[in-house]
This record gives sequence, structure tokens and C-alpha cells, in this order.
Amino acid sequence: MPRHISFSVVSEDGEPRIFMTGTGKSNISFDIVSRLSRISWEIADNKWDVDRAEKALQSVKETKPANRWWILFAVSCANGAFCRLFSGDAVAAAVVFVATMCGYYLKQLLIEKKVDIRIVFAACAFVSSVLACADKLFSLGTTPDIAIGTSVLYLVPGIPLLNAFSDMLDRHYICFFSRMTDALVLICCLSIGLCAGMWAMGIGMF
Amino acid sequence: MIENFLSDAFFAAIAAIGFSAISNPPRKAYIFCALIAATGHSIRFLLMSPELGQMSIVPASAIASSVIGLLAVLLSPFAKIPAETFMFPSLLPMIPGIYAYKSVGALAMCLLHTDETGFLHYFYLFSTNGLVCLFIIIGMVIGGTLPVFLLKKIAYRATRKS
Repeated sequence: MPRHISFSVVSEDGEPRIFMTGTGKSNISFDIVSRLSRISWEIADNKWDVDRAEKALQSVKETKPANRWWILFAVSCANGAFCRLFSGDAVAAAVVFVATMCGYYLKQLLIEKKVDIRIVFAACAFVSSVLACADKLFSLGTTPDIAIGTSVLYLVPGIPLLNAFSDMLDRHYICFFSRMTDALVLICCLSIGLCAGMWAMGIGMF
Repeated sequence: MIENFLSDAFFAAIAAIGFSAISNPPRKAYIFCALIAATGHSIRFLLMSPELGQMSIVPASAIASSVIGLLAVLLSPFAKIPAETFMFPSLLPMIPGIYAYKSVGALAMCLLHTDETGFLHYFYLFSTNGLVCLFIIIGMVIGGTLPVFLLKKIAYRATRKS
């Protein structure tokens, strides 16, 4: 993604102003997006002055992220449900739930320790796929391949992929390439982790 | 059929709530995400079922996404939340993740198989999975964002108080 933003405005007396600033790293937060959208309408409709708008912006910046345990539980349930959507049996869904919980917990730990995101993706995919292989190795259920295949789906960067193609349709091609390349690199990393996990467990690939 | 349809909607709703949690939506958005994702995913399930013509996954995903986009736009003024906050998480259960990583895996296998038969087999897997993945995402984005552009007045004013 771009490292800097250039912002140009023209004052009422016709004087142009250009601002440049660096972009900070931030996780996707629809809560912040919603609050910013609300503030933008308040500024337009109620003619907020700069100080008030800045105060509101600061309060948005302090928005707390969701509880990490809730996210861990929700993502694990979601991936288990995903397994059922792909016709996996209840055992496969339970295995995927556990594999996702361990993989996502590892992701949270590694991100906290500021490990490179690409290594995080490969490591989490490896752990989740190794755990999901238990379904096949111990003959727990009837759909072990679905369990292995869906165990890493929580890592697929869905929103960056959708955003990338949305940028393409809007003709923001540089942003499209940037997001798309980021997403493809992450998919490659998760594929490496998955293949390594299947290889380590002695399960045939594809 | 009805049982499968309902279970598809139920699990899609759980998947949407769970995956949307990663992108930190406002609390009241969860219920809307669940409803919209359940509707969209079950529509795709119906379109792809043999009883209703067995439509290919690409147009079925595009149609389901346009329903998701439409519902997101129509419900956003009630929740006072931008339509994208519902739309993107609701689309997540339809993201072709398996096609994506199978394509990358098959590309890697191409490099390990130098004999013509083996190489062609994995190149076939790479290209089919990659193309299906690509066109599903393009169809989903077009289908999902079309209602936002067609109903600009509703979509862009969702968070406006007056």
C-alpha cells in the first residue's frame, strides 16, 4: 500500500495548499470506517469547526479493537461452519474448530511479537493443517480431506482481495496491484504452510 | 432440499459473524451481516442446486453478491452504518479460498514435475482453479458494488443523522 498520502485543497480565495503525510499501519476496522463516515456528515451538515472535527478524529483513533478472545472463538466457529458448508461432517467441523483455534491463537501471539506477517501466515497454516490431518490419520470422521482443505481458510485475505478488485473497477490500478500483490503473497505463504503440513504428516497433496 | 437450504443459510450466517469479527465491525452490524450472508449464500446454493438448473459457480456468485449488495444498501440507513460494513463481511463466506490456494499449490507442483503428463496435469489444475477463483471474485465485486452505485443516494447517506 502507499507509504504517503498527498492531499491538495484550494481555499475560498483561490490559494492552493498541498499536504503530504506518511500513512500508519492499521488493521481493518469497520467500526472506525463507520465512525469516520458519521463524522464526515456532521462536518458537512452542522459546519463543525476544525478543532471540533480534530477532537472527534482523535476519539475515533482511540477506538478499542474487539476482545481478542471473542475474535478467537468467533473465527474458530466460523471456520467450523465453513467446513460444514463444504459438506464436511460434524467430526470434521470439530477438528477444524480446534485446528483454527490453535492456528489463530498462534497468529495473535506472533503478530503481538511483531513477527513478519508472511512468516505468521506460513506458520499458522502449517499448525492448522497438521492438526486437521488428525481427522485422516486417526480415521475420526468420513470427510477428512474437507477438514484439511478448510482448516486454513480463515487465513485467506478475503477483504484485501475484494478491495483490490473494487479498486480495479474504479480504475485505481496502482492500488489494485499493490493490494492484489499483498494478498497473493499471503495466499502463497498459506499454501506453503499447508503443503508443508500435509507433507510432514505424509498425506498426498492435491 | 429444504433441510440443506436451511443448514446452508445457518452455517453461512455463523461464518459471516465469525469472519467479520476479524475486521472489527460495530456491534450492531453482526446481526445484519448474519442475515445478509445467510440470504446471499442460500441464494447461491439454490442457483447451483441440480433441481434449479445447476448454474455455474461464477454467475451464481455474482447474482448472490448483487442480492447481498442490495440488502446491504437498503438496510444501512436503518442501522446508520455504511453499506460496505455489512457487504464485505457478508461476501466473505463466498470467497473462493480453496480455489486460490489449490491454484498456488498446483503451480508449485508444476515445478516439481518435469515430465509432460505430470506437468500438464498440474498446469491444468493451476489454470482451472486460478481462472475460477479470479472470475468468482470479479463477479462478486461487480455484483456487490453495483447496487451501491445504482442507489448512491441511499448508500452514501446511510450515516447521515437528518
